[in-house]
Amino acid sequence: MERMKKKKNDTLRAVIFLAPALLLIFCFTIIPIAEAVYTSFHATRYAVVGDFVGIDNYISVMTENDGWKNIINSIEYVVLSLLLALPIGVAIGSLLNRKIKGIAILRTLIVIPWILSQTVTALLWGWLLNGNYGLITYWVYLLTGQKIDLFSTAILAKILVVIVNVWNTVPVIIILTIAALQTISPDLIEAAKVDGASRRTIYFKITLPMIKPTMATALVMQSIEYFNMVTLIYVLTAGGPFKETQTLSLAAYQNGFDYWHMDIAAAYSIIIFVLNIVFSLCYVRILKAKDD
Amino acid sequence: MNKKNSSLGKTPGLDFLTVIILIGASVISLFPVLWGLSTALKTDDAVTMFPPEIIPSNITLDNFVSVFTKSDFMIYMRNSILVTLIGVVVATVVAAHAAYALTFFKIRFRKGISFFILMTSMVPPVALLVPLYMLSVKLNLYNTRILLILVYTAWRTPVLTWIMQGFFEKLPMEIVEAGIIDGCSKTKAFYKLILPISQPGIVSAALLSAVYVWNDYLVSSSFITTNEKKMISVGLYQYITQYGIKWGLLMAAVMVSIIPIIILFVCLQRKFVDGMAAGAVKG
Repeated sequence: MERMKKKKNDTLRAVIFLAPALLLIFCFTIIPIAEAVYTSFHATRYAVVGDFVGIDNYISVMTENDGWKNIINSIEYVVLSLLLALPIGVAIGSLLNRKIKGIAILRTLIVIPWILSQTVTALLWGWLLNGNYGLITYWVYLLTGQKIDLFSTAILAKILVVIVNVWNTVPVIIILTIAALQTISPDLIEAAKVDGASRRTIYFKITLPMIKPTMATALVMQSIEYFNMVTLIYVLTAGGPFKETQTLSLAAYQNGFDYWHMDIAAAYSIIIFVLNIVFSLCYVRILKAKDD
Repeated sequence: MNKKNSSLGKTPGLDFLTVIILIGASVISLFPVLWGLSTALKTDDAVTMFPPEIIPSNITLDNFVSVFTKSDFMIYMRNSILVTLIGVVVATVVAAHAAYALTFFKIRFRKGISFFILMTSMVPPVALLVPLYMLSVKLNLYNTRILLILVYTAWRTPVLTWIMQGFFEKLPMEIVEAGIIDGCSKTKAFYKLILPISQPGIVSAALLSAVYVWNDYLVSSSFITTNEKKMISVGLYQYITQYGIKWGLLMAAVMVSIIPIIILFVCLQRKFVDGMAAGAVKG
């Protein structure tokens, strides 16, 4: 009897404790997703939803719009960013984990870009790379004898966007690397030393394998982050030149708020949403595997 | 020789190399910021000089004075502080309750609700902007700061719930049970016991959410059109049109907007790092 009453109390309290969170999530995540699905199957004029058009918007994304190009740009952006950010992050993180006097100050300075917003990052770098007065533009001028707008060629623009992104986000990998390294027991390293293993052997054969799970988490986490990034690219290049740096996420944003094609933007949003759910399920699996 | 170095002993050569590389890395980290600062301290003529001066020969505070007196910067700043504070405080409170219920209450669908919240924390903002725009126009919430607060609160709630669940799960169950036996109800135990002992973790998670809201550009740019309601992240971008890109002014505004956050970071570094580790690796 007592126990039953307790359980009933729990249910009532749980409802009160959970209701605000679930209500907020329902109103600002679930309903919008439903709205996006609905909109993506209709034609729109600005914010007004018109006729049902079936999957025309999706077809349009993939044929008339630049759906495929956006997907390839997204993949390029994510893969290139990871290829740079992961090795740099692990290397710097490993160096920062060494016990040297004053290293804490260097750590603080190195991770500062992490707390700067994508807007600020893009503005700072946009100014460094400015085609007329940028400092880096000047250095390129010194090397080549020409004043070039570095964002005007597709390949350079793609690379620069990646570099700026890596500058902004590599501290995440650095911090995760340090956190992972600090969980390794010093006894283990000591034992290897006693056995006569060299520094290099210890690092590559013991240290790196031990932080692999954390790196896997970082890899998936950052892929999702990079895939969904809009602001940085938008402020730096607005997708240019000729949409060569327009990723899927940027296309969703620009179709909605630059071109006012809400129907196309809704179709883009749903594509992004579905891809994210797939990524997230992978992420959860990795986390679970790590927990066990 | 090599062997001697690697066993316990000091390695001045290696340390020296490490420090050199790390100093190089910090120069790269800080360079764009310092270049922005240098630009902000230049006169208009010096800003557009080619070749550019790395350290300005004439240092002037004119750009900073203009940002504070001749622009809406302070209004943007006030809006950002208001929206960030309210949004993060409400989200943290709401999430703490949800996380407590999901950790300590014996309820049906507990795992299901937990998983649902985890998944919603992974829905990207960019996929929700367009439908939320359509909905907010219909509901007459478009272009209000209330909408900003609601959206940020709602979007931070799942992440915070998930992180706090991680904290609560790691608490020793005996403490909670002892508290309940001592005559506290589960509700009382939450406010009197669980919240106070989890406070450091909760603060670092909230701090990280605050930086997220403060730095966000997408929500505040998509749902606000009136100048007086804009947040600083969008307000910055505004300088580009308002002054036809006067880089000196823009960089001064950027500097003023990042200095508070850099100071906060340097002082509370430990909390930032803990917050991120909790979010990334759960506990």
